[in-house]
Amino acid sequence: MGLSDSTAIAGTVPESRRSLAARLRVIFMRSESLRGYALLSPTLIVMLLGMCLPFALMVAMSFWTQRGFDIDISFSLTNYGSAISSPIYEALLMRSLAISGTCAIVTVLLSYPMAYYVAFHVHRRKMLWIILMTLPFWTSYLLRIFAWKIVLGWNGVINSGLKSLGIIDQPLEFLLYSPTAVVITLVHAWAAFAILPIYVSLEKIDRSLLEAAADLGDGPVQRFLRVTLPLSLPGVIAAMLLIFVPTVGDYVTPALVGGPDGIMIANMIQAQFGKVNNWPMGATLAIVMMIVLTIIAVVYIWLTRKLAEWIS
Amino acid sequence: MNIKHKIDDLRMGRLSRRDFNKSLSALGISMVMTPMLGKSASADAADQATYFTWGGYDVPEMFGSYIEQHGETPNFATFGGSEEALTKIRAGYVVDVAHPCNQAIPRWVATGLFQTVDTSKLSNWEDVVPELYNLEGNMADGSPYMVPFDWGQTSITYRTDLVDLEGQEESWGLLWDEQHKGRMGMIASAGDSWWCAAIYAGVDFTTMASDESFKKVAEALRQQRPLIRTYTDDMTTLEQALASGELVAAMTWNSSPVVLKGEGVPVKFANPKEGALTWVCGAMIHKDAPHIDRAHDVIDAMLSVDTGKWLIGENGYGHSNAKSFAQFTDDELTALGLSSTPSDILSAGKFQIPQTQEFETAMNQEFENIKAGF
Amino acid sequence: MSDVGYIRRHNRPLYFFALFYLAFLYIPVLFLPLFSFNDAIYVAFPIKGFTTAWYEQMLTNEPMHAALVNSLKVGAASSAIATMLGIFGAKAVTKYRIKGEKPVVSVIMLPLVIPGIILGVALLILLSRIGVTLSLYTVTLGHILICVPFSMATLMARFEGFDKSMEEASADLGDNVWWTFWRVTLPLVAPGVIASLLLCFTISFDEFIMAFFLAGTEPTLPIFIYGQLRFPQKLPSVLALGACILVVSFVVVFVSQWLQRRDDPAAQGLGN
Repeated sequence: MGLSDSTAIAGTVPESRRSLAARLRVIFMRSESLRGYALLSPTLIVMLLGMCLPFALMVAMSFWTQRGFDIDISFSLTNYGSAISSPIYEALLMRSLAISGTCAIVTVLLSYPMAYYVAFHVHRRKMLWIILMTLPFWTSYLLRIFAWKIVLGWNGVINSGLKSLGIIDQPLEFLLYSPTAVVITLVHAWAAFAILPIYVSLEKIDRSLLEAAADLGDGPVQRFLRVTLPLSLPGVIAAMLLIFVPTVGDYVTPALVGGPDGIMIANMIQAQFGKVNNWPMGATLAIVMMIVLTIIAVVYIWLTRKLAEWIS
Repeated sequence: MNIKHKIDDLRMGRLSRRDFNKSLSALGISMVMTPMLGKSASADAADQATYFTWGGYDVPEMFGSYIEQHGETPNFATFGGSEEALTKIRAGYVVDVAHPCNQAIPRWVATGLFQTVDTSKLSNWEDVVPELYNLEGNMADGSPYMVPFDWGQTSITYRTDLVDLEGQEESWGLLWDEQHKGRMGMIASAGDSWWCAAIYAGVDFTTMASDESFKKVAEALRQQRPLIRTYTDDMTTLEQALASGELVAAMTWNSSPVVLKGEGVPVKFANPKEGALTWVCGAMIHKDAPHIDRAHDVIDAMLSVDTGKWLIGENGYGHSNAKSFAQFTDDELTALGLSSTPSDILSAGKFQIPQTQEFETAMNQEFENIKAGF
Repeated sequence: MSDVGYIRRHNRPLYFFALFYLAFLYIPVLFLPLFSFNDAIYVAFPIKGFTTAWYEQMLTNEPMHAALVNSLKVGAASSAIATMLGIFGAKAVTKYRIKGEKPVVSVIMLPLVIPGIILGVALLILLSRIGVTLSLYTVTLGHILICVPFSMATLMARFEGFDKSMEEASADLGDNVWWTFWRVTLPLVAPGVIASLLLCFTISFDEFIMAFFLAGTEPTLPIFIYGQLRFPQKLPSVLALGACILVVSFVVVFVSQWLQRRDDPAAQGLGN
C-alpha cells in the first residue's frame, strides 16, 4: 500500500509471496485510479443508479411543456424563458439564498465554539457530549416546529416574558410567521449538521502541532489562527455547504412558520408539482435553482481556498 | 507523527479499538437485518384493499361491515393533503380506493386513472343523498366516479371574545377587515380560498372562468394579503393559533369549531350572509385497482349508518347517507351546524362548479403568486 | 505551561457558551414533555391542567407504534448502509488520486442540490415503471441516497490528511487489505463513523418528503404525524411519544456511557 511513499520496511516483502496472483495484484495496485475506482464502485454504482436516472428524467422534463393534464414532450425552452423573465421566481430565489445564507453563517458561527469546546476542553465522555447535541433532533421535526411556535408566538414565551418585564407593550410580530422565524427554526434544526463535521475536523488536528506552536512562543490567538483554524477549515467549509444547500430546497419550514413573507423558492417548486400541476415548470425551477447553487458553491470553495492560503 | 500518537488520539475519543469494532459489527449486522424482520406479518394484509386517505379516516370505526366480511380493516396509506395524493398517484402509485373532493373531480377524472363505481355492488347506495353525487362531471352513464362520503362547509371560525361584530351580520368581509390586520389566517389552497374570495367579491360561480371574474377575485385576494398572518393547508395550525389567540379569525372547515368548542375555546362558525362554501368528498376507484370487489366493499362500509354516526358525532361533518341523521336529535344536529334534512343545507349552500384544467392551473399559479406577494 | 498542555486549560467563557448553546438546543424541545401533560388538544398557551390521558392514548395507539417501528427500521438500515457507502467513497477519494475525481464526487453529492420533492417524484416514476411495489425498502433506498453525501462529506473531513503510516505498518506486517481496514483504518476514523451514523439516522428518522412519495401502506413516523394534521385530536399522544423518545434516548445514552466506564477502567483516566 502507499507505493508512492513506501517506507523502508515495505521493500522487504518475502519473495515467496510473489505468486502469479500476487503479480496481478501488483499490476492492480500500481494503478491508483483502478484501485480507487474499485473501492469507490459500490458507492458510485448505488448513486449512479439511484440519482442519475431521476436526474436525467428531471432535466428532460424541464424542456417539456404542460398542456392541461398532458405533457407535451417536444423540446421547448418556454419554461426557461418564463423562469428567467418572471420577477417572482427571481425574488423568491434571492430570498431563499438570503435566508439559507444567513442560516448557514449563524449556525456555523454558533456551532464552531461549541465543537471547539468539545474537541479541546472536554476530555472525558466526548461522545456523550456529541450524542447529547443530536438527541433533541430525534423528536419529530413537526413537534419541534410546534415547540418553536410556543416560544415565538404572538403570546408565546418570548413575547410574554418581554411583556411581563415591561420591555415591550405590544407583542413582537416579526418573531413568528416571518423570515426571522424561518432562520431561527432552521438554525436550530441544522445545528447538529454544523457541529459534527466541525468537531470531526477539529478532533483530528494533531495536538503536537499546537504544542509545537506553543513552544515556539505563539500566544493562544496566534495558535488558533495559525494552526487550529486553517486545519479545521475543511470541516467549516463542509458544514456551511451541508447547511446552505439543502435549506434552499426546504419547503416544510417556510410553509409552517414563514408566513406570507417567508415563502421560499422550494414552496413554488412544490406547488408546481402539486396544486399548480405544471411538473415541467417545477423541474425547470429546480434546475435553475441547482445551477445557481452550483455556481455559489464553486465560488465559495474557490474563495475559501484562497482564504486558507492567505491564512497559512 | 508516530503510531503512539494515533493511539493516543483514539483514547482521547475514549474508545478502545476492539470495543469499537465489536460494537460496530454487531450494530452493522443488526441494522442491515432490521427491515427484514416483521415483514411476514403482512401476508394476510396483501389480500386487503388499499384505501388512500387523510390521516384520521384510517380507523376501524369507519369499516364495520368490511371487517365483518373480510376479517380486518383495509390497508391504509395516508396523506396530509389531497393534491400531494394526486401527485403520488399520477407518478404511478396504485391504490384501490382514494379520497378526493368535489372541486377536484374533473381533474382526477381527466388523469384517466380512475373508473366509475358500480353502484349495484353498494347495498347502501339507495340511501345516499342525490344532491351529493349529481355534481357536474361526476356522473358517466348513470354511474358516479366519486361516491360521496363526507361533506361540510368552508367558512370563518372566529373568537367570539376577541371579535366584536358590533351588531352586524356575519359576513366574509370579516376576513377583509383592517381592524384585525395580522390576526387572521387563510387556507393556502386555492380550492377553498379562491372560491370563498369569489363569494366575498360577489362573483357568480357560473362566470368563474371569465377574465373579468378572474381579475376581480385575484384583486380581492391581493387586497387581503397584507392582513393575513399565515396561509396554511393544515387545520391544526389554524386551530392552534385560534386557541392561543394568535389569530382571531380564520377560514376553516366545520370540524374545527367543533373541536375548538370541545376544548372550551370561545369560537363560532360563521354563517356568512353571502353564503358559505359547501364541499363534498368521497371515494374513487383506481382503474387498475387490484382488489376491485373489495374496493366496492370499502366504499359500501363507508356509506353505512354506523359509519355515518361516527362521522357526524366525532368529527362534525355531514354524512352522505340520509339515514345517518336519524341517529341524532335536531338539537344535536343544529349544534353541529347540520340538519335532519341535509338537503336543506345543501340546496342553500354554494357548490364549486368544476372548471377546466387550464383554469385550475391558472388559478393556482395566480394564488401562489399572490401569496408570495406578487 | 506545556506541562499542563494548551488544550487542557480551563476556558470559562467557552464553558458558559457551551451551556448557552445546549440551552438553545434543549429549551424549545423541553416544551414537548410539558405540553404532553397538558389537558388540551392544542399545543398552545394557556396551560389548562394536568393529565396523563395522552400517555394512555399513546400506549393504545397502535398505528403510531407501527409507524415508530417502521421509522426505526428505516433509520437504522439506511444510516448503516449509507455510512458503509460513505466510508468506501471517502476512503477512495482521499487515498487515491483518481482520474475524473471531480465529476465522480459531484455525482455523489448531487442529492444535496436536488429538492426532495423532485427526487421523490422522479424515483417514484422510475420505480413504478420498473414495477417495484412501494414498501419500507423503497423508503430506505431513498434515504440512503440522501444520506450518502452527508456521510461522505463528514468522513472526507476525517480522512483528509490521514496518516498512512499506520495502515502501511499493518500491511507490512502481512495483514490483507480488509483486515487492515477493519483493524486499523476503521478505529482511526471512529469519530467520523459515529458522526456519520448519527447524522444519517437523524436525517432518515425525520425525513418526510421522500418518505411520503416512496412509502406504501406502511407509514414512517413523520408521515403518520403529518397525517394527523387534519384532525388534531390524536396529536397530543404524538407529543407524549416525542417526550418518551427524548427520555428513552437519554436513558440509553447514559446507561451505555456508564456501562462503558465500568467495563473499561483503562480508558477512563487515559485522556493523554
